[in-house]
Formats: sequence, structure tokens, C-alpha cells
Amino acid sequence: MSDIERRVSDIMLAKLRVREPSLKDTDFDKSIYDLELDSLDVVELTQILERELKVQADRRQIGSFMLLEEFRSYFVLLATR
Amino acid sequence: MAAGIIDIEAPEAGIPVDNAYFESIGLTDEWIKRRSGISTRRWLTARTPLAEVAADACRPLVSRHGDPSTVDALIVVSTSVRQRVPGIAQQVATAAGLPASVLAFDMNAACCGFVYALTTGLSLCDAGRARSVVVCSAEAMSTMVDKTDRQTACIFADGVAAVLLGAREEFAPATHLAGGDGTQKTLMCETDGGGIHLEGAAVYDRAVRRMTEIAERLCAWDPRPSVLVGHQANGRILEQVRAFTAPLDVPFINRIEHLGNTSSASIPLAFGSALRDASVPPRGRLGAVAYGAGEAWGGVSVSYGIG
Repeated sequence: MSDIERRVSDIMLAKLRVREPSLKDTDFDKSIYDLELDSLDVVELTQILERELKVQADRRQIGSFMLLEEFRSYFVLLATR
Repeated sequence: MAAGIIDIEAPEAGIPVDNAYFESIGLTDEWIKRRSGISTRRWLTARTPLAEVAADACRPLVSRHGDPSTVDALIVVSTSVRQRVPGIAQQVATAAGLPASVLAFDMNAACCGFVYALTTGLSLCDAGRARSVVVCSAEAMSTMVDKTDRQTACIFADGVAAVLLGAREEFAPATHLAGGDGTQKTLMCETDGGGIHLEGAAVYDRAVRRMTEIAERLCAWDPRPSVLVGHQANGRILEQVRAFTAPLDVPFINRIEHLGNTSSASIPLAFGSALRDASVPPRGRLGAVAYGAGEAWGGVSVSYGIG
């Protein structure tokens, strides 16, 4: 895992463990709808990633994501552009 | 010499309604708290005229001020007043003991109403058009919401609060910013059939970003606020803005737990609550930050000295 992948994963875990304390980055193949998340958690996760990584996400693209891995990959891509 | 807030009245109007009320529409206390941070809110009784409750908030400001004839303007802000004609401001002015010569008018800018009225009132004072101005926000949002709507019924609440504006030597000039985007009018709107349509996640996203930006801009101006009070829209919004504005090192007030979302009244109610329990000192600089339907947004940095 690259440094930026590690960083994005850590930011995501810090936020998501508030709802799912046992979550690991190996669980990123899970659907966000299988976790104890609500729609505002997804917005909060997006905003925290944007702020920490100093990037701007496309809301429509974010809205199509089902898996945590899609969030990680997308923000890794944004952060390395 | 500049205008600022010299008195405030933020009474507890109406009756408390706790989260158990919403069990009949399938909402639990735990779910409401998690989604909104709200435990209780107050609703006015159906028989209570909004003008009467607003006058009850304004009257102490007028009587404490001494000479009512020096209150040259009254701005009554309301999103939820049901009768458009006549306006509510004249009824409030008369019932509050203001002179017949007062410039009294209604304003509606949804949840931004208080910030916009504050900007207007301060401008009247600073321009020398008014010696003092009362700004009153009066909301009965419980009459607007569909009480069977699981998304909005538990969020919105009723409340009334008023401030008295006047000039003092020790005050620094107020500063403000405002903006709007009419293309976003469907994010939050009154529906034809009654009730409020709210695109929750989109509003949450835009409110956090906009309110954070406004707070940062207010704090970049000199003098910077000593306290930030955001529109008490939703506890999740407030906590996210608080987290994002933490580097500013200015206290950010969240009083939504016992107030609910009282639209335009939420900022003076939260500020009044924080003053009452001494969470903020009686003198300082208020940064009021609002975002709401329209979509409209705005902020005011204003000196205050109460008592």
C-alpha cells in the first residue's frame, strides 16, 4: 500500500470507526449500506476526506459509490493528480 | 462610535415537546438524537398568535431601554407567519409599546432572516437613520411542517427572540457578507400540500461548506468574533462546522439539543441561551453565521454589550 493509500485509509477508518469500532481496511470491499452508516455519514466522510487531502470531490460521482473501496480509490486518485 | 447589540430577550415560549411524541410516526429518541442532536423542542399552542409572542419578547427590550420614542425601527423576521396581509410588524410594534412613528416592517429570508435583519438594522443605526432598532425573529415552524413527515417533523420548532441595536463608543463597526443562489430553490421549500420538502444530505453538505466558509471569512476580519453562533439547523451540521472551524480558536455555540431548528429565531435563541448561563461573556464580538432556503447565506460580525 502506498503512502497516500495508507493516508486515505487512515482518514476513512478514523471517521467510520465512530460507527463501526471493529472496522479494518480489509473490510473496504463492503457496501456502505451493510455498515451502520446513514446518509449524513457518507457526506461527512466525503467532507473530511476533501478537507484533509485539500481536494474537491464530484458529488454526482460520490453518489454512485456503493463500496468503501470506491471511496478510497477515488480519493487516492484525486490526491495524486 | 458604531452600532451593535445592546440588549437581548430570548424567552422560552411555548410548551416542550420531547422525542417520545414522534414514536407514533416510527421515530425513536435514539434515532432522532443521532440524526439531529435534538432531545426536546418547544411548540407554540395553536391558539397563541405569533404577534403576541413576538411582542412579549420585544416589550422588555423597549421598557428596559427607557425612552421608547428613541426606538426608530422594528424589523420582525418570520418564515412561518401565516397571514401575509397585514404584516405582523405593526401589531408587534403596538403591542410592545413602540410609538406610532416607528418604521416597522416584516422580513423573510428563511433561516438567514435574523442575519439579514441584523445587517439591515445595524445599517440604519450606522447611517444615522435610527437611534436604536429592535430586530425580532418569531417562528412557529410547527404550523408549517407535516407532523407525519418523518424527515422534518422532529427537526423544526417554534421560538421567538429579539435584540436591541444601538450605538456605543466602545463598539467597532459591524461587518457582514451575504449571498444566494436561486437555482437551488428546491433544496428546501414549502410544498403545495403543506409541509416542508428538504433534501437532507444535499442541504447538510452545502450548509456545512457554506457556514464554515462564512465563519472563516468573519474571523479573517478585524476585530475577529469572540464567539460564533451558527444557525441551529441540525446538530450534525453544527458539530461538523465546529470541527472544521476549530483552528480558528473561537467558541462555536451549539444549543440545538433543547431548541430544535427554529429557523430565523435559532441564532438569537442560541446566543441568548449562552449568555444566560454565562457560557459567553456579556461583552464581546458575535459572529452570526446562517445558511437556509433560497438558497441564502450570510454572516455578521457585530460588537455586543449586554447590561
